[in-house]
Amino acid sequence: MSATAKKHQPAQSRILSYAGALLEAMDGALAAHPNTFIMGQGVDDFKGIFGSTAGLAGKYGARRVFDVPLMEEGMTGVAIGASLVGDYPITTHIRADFAFLAMNQIINLASKYRYMFGGIMSCPMLIRVIVGRSWGQGAQHSQSPQATFAHYPGLTVVMPSTSQAIVDMYPQIINRHPGPVVSIEHRLLYNLDFSVSASATPIPLTSYVAREGRDVTVVATSVMVLEAMRAAQYVAERVGIEVEVIDLNSVSHPDWDLVAGSVRKTGKLVIADTSWLEYGVAAEVCRQLMLRDPTVLRQTPAMLGMAAAPCPTAKSLEDIYYPSQHETVDAILTQVRGSGHGIELPVERSMTEGYKRFKGPF
Amino acid sequence: MQTNDLYRRLFRAALLIRLVEERIIELYPSDRIQSPVHLSIGQEAVAVGVCDALASDDLVFATYRSHGFYIGRGGPLDSMFAELFGRLGGISKGKAGSMHLSAPKVGLMGSSAIVASTIPHAVGAALSFKRAGSSRVAVAVFGDGATEEGVYHESLNFAALMKVPVLFVCEDNGLAVHSFRHVRQAYRLPEHAATFGIESRRIEEGWDMLAVRQATLDALAVVRTGKPFVLEIVTGRYKEHVGVGDDFHFGYRSAEEINAWKSRDPLILDRKLVEELTPQIQREIAAAIEFAERSPAPGRAELLTDVI
Repeated sequence: MSATAKKHQPAQSRILSYAGALLEAMDGALAAHPNTFIMGQGVDDFKGIFGSTAGLAGKYGARRVFDVPLMEEGMTGVAIGASLVGDYPITTHIRADFAFLAMNQIINLASKYRYMFGGIMSCPMLIRVIVGRSWGQGAQHSQSPQATFAHYPGLTVVMPSTSQAIVDMYPQIINRHPGPVVSIEHRLLYNLDFSVSASATPIPLTSYVAREGRDVTVVATSVMVLEAMRAAQYVAERVGIEVEVIDLNSVSHPDWDLVAGSVRKTGKLVIADTSWLEYGVAAEVCRQLMLRDPTVLRQTPAMLGMAAAPCPTAKSLEDIYYPSQHETVDAILTQVRGSGHGIELPVERSMTEGYKRFKGPF
Repeated sequence: MQTNDLYRRLFRAALLIRLVEERIIELYPSDRIQSPVHLSIGQEAVAVGVCDALASDDLVFATYRSHGFYIGRGGPLDSMFAELFGRLGGISKGKAGSMHLSAPKVGLMGSSAIVASTIPHAVGAALSFKRAGSSRVAVAVFGDGATEEGVYHESLNFAALMKVPVLFVCEDNGLAVHSFRHVRQAYRLPEHAATFGIESRRIEEGWDMLAVRQATLDALAVVRTGKPFVLEIVTGRYKEHVGVGDDFHFGYRSAEEINAWKSRDPLILDRKLVEELTPQIQREIAAAIEFAERSPAPGRAELLTDVI
């Protein structure tokens, strides 16, 4: 899936895994900003948050990178207090689901601190949460809470879909962004290699065009951006359909004009999100288009997300719980050619099978 | 009665809190304050004794019942009343109100209406002080009900493990809204603290500003060596949980217990000092209210500022 991206990269690019990009971003932040520290369960252990903090405790010491008790709410409150006096905390949750234990501090305190006190105090910090998917993660290790977080004013919510997004965005966030940021990372991406380049125009803390096209717009988040890129490559090679893929990237602060402009051009839309569709990203994309110009859509858009149930553990159910590559391609073809498009779909049905390097368990 | 300078200083601060809140009671029916208020009347000695013991750069993290700590730390009266009135001249431009008072310039950080939620903030600030090699301490102020929340346990455990300079101050008025402690707590605070190896002390004389101050100084001497400390101060909430009225007529508690507090309350007993200090304090309060009333209400331009 990185082949498409690589093709469009300039020659001076390098190969960097998602976990490697995270490690680079964490290392870079600790080196550049003495007030930065990382705390979370297992950040200093031999696995180092799937490699993203590996070795940093040894390099920077236990005062900069340290393990904490199982205390999600307390840890987040500690981060707020440290931030208020000038430190920059980075906290980690190896599953986004665990961040629900910290919701009181994230929602009731961090998101409101600047506004509620009239702008005289703020608590900038980075909260890293990781979405699990596949290999039987089940109902409580698989949730993708972007709609939940983005619902609350005061939080900035990003979903990096590539190593480039991490390399570009994290330095804009850490010690620079004025408020708390929730970064929703995806476990399936961690072991994937991406092409990364030093760009004059880094990926911003908002949406961007990941692939240009004229026939249909796909607005996607996180790992669904890769799914959209794979599908775009398939339909381009197979039938010459050119898909425009927009990585929504910042769920809290998308570039809606960019999205509306693309849909105005193509008239056709597929929304591919990593979570449930109900009251989620898909609903918000539609709301924003309705507000701007309902006529940009020439037909009913297609929406891909998790089935409206908690995530089942059984592989047979899990495989049909998430939108497959097959369904993504079908949605694109149906938008462009109609439901009787008659074009052969990719045989692969399970997205996990496309991620050959991933063998589990997490 | 004692008349030395220290006593007068503490007494004046406590009297200021009481007279401010009594003025709030008078103003409340006029709807100038269109927001819930949680009065500290009866608990002033805790705020005054603790705050007087602190160094000016120490930080306090408190609760929705924080008029006392705001004044105890020396927060300006004019921007306090403007804040209560929902005016632009308020410390937080009227966006905070009584429940979210703060005065960071004098070391009172943001107060929260979610019980126990600022306790870990104090631990985090203390962690940063330790990281910076500073001698500053952070103080978490909370009620006895807050100790039932999980985050209190988390905060003590983390503070003990990390050996951070934080003072936990429990204002024990025995009530969580209308619920008595015996239906809420199967533990005793000092024993709970001891489980974490945290030293503690229970002060029964919560009306005694000097005793509270001395106990805080003693506790801070421990805290400044990098050890957390739990200071439990027994006190009495004279008024209803929220609002400006008495609540004895509801029958859930008797006036007798509070009358026992009142019989030891220096702000009631020391009539001579009250009479001597009141006129000047009332002038200060009147000036602050005048400032607040002159201050404009925040307009639409404020609605979406400072969100991120």
